Amino acid sequence: MVLLQRPHILLLLIDTHQFLQCWIAFGSANEEGQQQEEFSEELLVKPLPDHKLLAHFHFQSSAPPSTSNGCHHHLFPKAISQLVQKFRVKEMELSFTQGRWNYESWGGFDPISSSNAKPPGVELWAVFDVPQHHIDASWKNLTHTLSGLFCASINFLESTATYSTPEWSFPPASGNVRYGTLPCEAVCTENLTPWLKLLPCRDKAAIALLLDRPSLYRGFYHSQRLHLTSTESSSEGIDSGIILEQTLTVVLQPNSERAIEVHASEKHVQPSWSLSSIFGKQVSGRCVLAKSSSVYLLLDRGLVAELKFPNKENGKSAANGLTSENFWSNPSFELSVNPDRIFLEESSSHSKSLSILYMFQVEKYSESEPFDIGLMWKVPVAWLCQQTPLHASRFFMGSGNERGAIAISLKSTQFTEGFMSANSKDGSCELRVDVFQVVPWYVKVYFHSLRVFVDQQPRAVSDFIEKIHVSPSKDKMSPGVMEVVLKLPCRVNTAALTIEFDKGFLRIDEYPPDANQGFDIPSAIISFPNFHASMVFLEDDSLNRSPLLSKFQEKCPVMSYTEVLLVPLTTPDFSMPYNVITIKCTVFALYFGSLLNVLQRRVAEEERFLKAKAAKKTGRLPLLLSKLSAKLRGSGINQD
Amino acid sequence: METFINPKSLFHLLLLPCLLLYSSIAYNSSPVEAAMHTNNWAVLVCTSRFWFNYRHMANTLSLYRTVKRLGIPDERIILMLADDMACNTRNKYPAQVFNNENHRLNLYGDNVEVDYRGYEVTVENFLRVLTGRHETAVPRSKRLLSDEGSHILLYMTGHGGDEFLKFQDSEELQSHDLADAVKQMKEKHRFKELLIMVDTCQAATLFNQLQSPGVLAIGSSMKGENSYSHHLDSDVGVSVVDRFTYYTLAFFERLNIYDNASLSSLFSSYNPSLLMSTAYYRKDLYKRRLEEVPVTNFFGSVMETIHTDAAYKALSRRNSGRFEDEMSLDQSVHHIKRRMLIKVNDGDEIHDINPEGEEGASKCPWSTFRNKFQKAENVDSLLNYGLVAMIPLLVISTWLVQ
Repeated sequence: MVLLQRPHILLLLIDTHQFLQCWIAFGSANEEGQQQEEFSEELLVKPLPDHKLLAHFHFQSSAPPSTSNGCHHHLFPKAISQLVQKFRVKEMELSFTQGRWNYESWGGFDPISSSNAKPPGVELWAVFDVPQHHIDASWKNLTHTLSGLFCASINFLESTATYSTPEWSFPPASGNVRYGTLPCEAVCTENLTPWLKLLPCRDKAAIALLLDRPSLYRGFYHSQRLHLTSTESSSEGIDSGIILEQTLTVVLQPNSERAIEVHASEKHVQPSWSLSSIFGKQVSGRCVLAKSSSVYLLLDRGLVAELKFPNKENGKSAANGLTSENFWSNPSFELSVNPDRIFLEESSSHSKSLSILYMFQVEKYSESEPFDIGLMWKVPVAWLCQQTPLHASRFFMGSGNERGAIAISLKSTQFTEGFMSANSKDGSCELRVDVFQVVPWYVKVYFHSLRVFVDQQPRAVSDFIEKIHVSPSKDKMSPGVMEVVLKLPCRVNTAALTIEFDKGFLRIDEYPPDANQGFDIPSAIISFPNFHASMVFLEDDSLNRSPLLSKFQEKCPVMSYTEVLLVPLTTPDFSMPYNVITIKCTVFALYFGSLLNVLQRRVAEEERFLKAKAAKKTGRLPLLLSKLSAKLRGSGINQD
Repeated sequence: METFINPKSLFHLLLLPCLLLYSSIAYNSSPVEAAMHTNNWAVLVCTSRFWFNYRHMANTLSLYRTVKRLGIPDERIILMLADDMACNTRNKYPAQVFNNENHRLNLYGDNVEVDYRGYEVTVENFLRVLTGRHETAVPRSKRLLSDEGSHILLYMTGHGGDEFLKFQDSEELQSHDLADAVKQMKEKHRFKELLIMVDTCQAATLFNQLQSPGVLAIGSSMKGENSYSHHLDSDVGVSVVDRFTYYTLAFFERLNIYDNASLSSLFSSYNPSLLMSTAYYRKDLYKRRLEEVPVTNFFGSVMETIHTDAAYKALSRRNSGRFEDEMSLDQSVHHIKRRMLIKVNDGDEIHDINPEGEEGASKCPWSTFRNKFQKAENVDSLLNYGLVAMIPLLVISTWLVQ
């Protein structure tokens, strides 16, 4: 009977299931008007002046607010949404970087460099939406969670001696921000793997397929970044859910062997490249879960100016007729694939020429016909990337193991001069520079020794520093933080800040296993809040939907990081404790042994004993006799 | 008056530890049901820092690859690497680690998950992982979440000596520490069977202090012997693998998850002339015969399949049976406790009647101890008992003397 009934029940179950599915589908179709989880993937490739190539991967997932969508996710990584909900993170950025961004040749005034050039190692900052006294606990737990999620020792940021609280100089200026860096953290495959697992297609399809580990880590610079903004927990404002932005920026050398050959013969011919030659892989088809997947080729402003497109003057009209031959077949280079669209940058006030963006849609390609864009240079070109207003570098001064000084030097770049003169009003123009510097507690900085040099002349600090905020370090408790706003005249050639410090001592158990390597001082952040790096491409319908291009349109202040400094501290002889213990023990043994000997020995008694011994030696009988007589005499006395 | 109250309170104080000890022994001595094999875990530790120790990381990663291939998933592998070799600036092959100069196999692969790395690989963290005593914030991926039915493989490689293993060139793990951690694990029911495999100089000495049942240990060399590296890769510039690990891998490369090769065949595969050291294995703590234990017992994740006629039935019966067992165990413990309480009351009465406290005091625990002696076969507990029995006698005698 039961057996007979079973199929019916099964059928019924299937029926109801189907019905439910339909119902759910209907429901979601209804909701489609509101918001949905979205994922898009983009890759931007840009030739760099020094024969290198920049590849910038941009993946963006967004989840609608959980109030309307619940806690279930189709595309959005669950780990991230749980993290946001648990720690009430408003905004967070985590970056893993290896190598140093070369601001001089790779530029510093475009959206890519100002938001993706990061200090080496791990950098983490987060803004929390929790009461002030809970922030530190949230931060601590967040670091542990992230360390588990990304296979890195981010949990070292939990101790108060490693993170700081920037007051106002750090861009997402608000009171609840915490900032920490680990400059010597290694970055490798194990960090990339969990990062890729957050993508709906992982590294199995479309653009992410290009991420071949050996070719990525062979590069000169790679920075893997995760940025998330959430309006979930905030009570005020529009609830737009969580937006997770994952970017990977790599600077690679296209086919290095040939480049060297070419380099020897013709100095300025850029190496030709294709995606398959750089990454060893091709893009076959798109990730079906992605809303859009496209590849861009960006030609820099400087490069476009060099190339002299035939109808550069009336570029705007040419861009409207997108099929214009002139833009993609040029006497100086050749593209292996016809671009689907061409975007021209909207003319901005502070540059002579405009950059060009070629767009390729990956959707059109399949496994049988994979997408592989290549660029072949025909004539040598040389150009310069747009620089930051001032080029910042940082170095140590002084010698010895006792004290020294940190200097941050700012040098004006050629680019800014023209811009400054264009922008200055009646000669009284000022250049605002924000400096944010964290110094670990074992480097004891004397803030009173801060000095400013402008054009190599020592100047009064108050003349140039508009605002300063200092929180001195506490031993083993908190690092020293310095935030300075400098107002420099526009015509400045060089400026320098110096500050002196004493090297501190650590306890023997606080030294890392490779203490002789030295200790890192995290990068200083130099930002120019009056300058905004943005690239606005001509308005178009599809443009609004591309997250990468809308990211480029955002006005973010120009930022640059200085070098990480390595300070050698005096390291103790690590075998010293054992030596001390052995020597101490020996000394104690000798001291106490002899002391006890002295204390216990009764000299008089001993002498008597010796005498008795001597007497013994004389003979037993006389001794006995004397004893007996003494007893007898004694008793006689007693009896008395 | 005072002299009368004092012995009574003293007596109560003395009874308290007795009671505690008694209950704990009652719990220990009762036969605990042997747990079923539930899952497999692997803790793989490379303890050496610096580039010239490349081979230690290659050893660990080779084992990592092997156990992953044989079915232990990443979330049940705790991988500890003391340094970053793959993306080291000295590595000519970025993001790649090789254990053979033919470079056929990239051990680092595309999907490696390192749980502890760099400065995190310390003796403290290692012992925390084994014993499970973590801070609350530590994520699950960094914890060894094994249970009483788990089979754990613990692989360690680095530089060592007589009864110690160096961590990061700055601290040591001693054989006593390891034995203590394993004992704690056993008492916390964190494993059923544990295989400790160590590739270091004088590895055998590291196992000297082990005493927990269910532990099997293999070391690459005896006391006074060194373990040697296998060969040098002139492209990488350093030795890439150690001999012991190399021949272990050679054994495992021939196997897949379905093979039934036994542990004894693994042990007999080590050839002292090839290893240039004598592989040592300690099996006195391990009850099963090594010929019957397949290597996948530790190196893979092969579950015992139970054939059942009907879905879920057998499992539920088994569970319920276990539950009942536990219940009865609990009840028996309660029962013993209750009896003990009664006995304590008896003792009190005797004491009240008899102004000479010593007799009552000796009488009460004595009867219970005698019962206990019959049950407890454990020499340790017997000894403890003897010691505790000595204390009241000693105290009372000194009190009487005064």
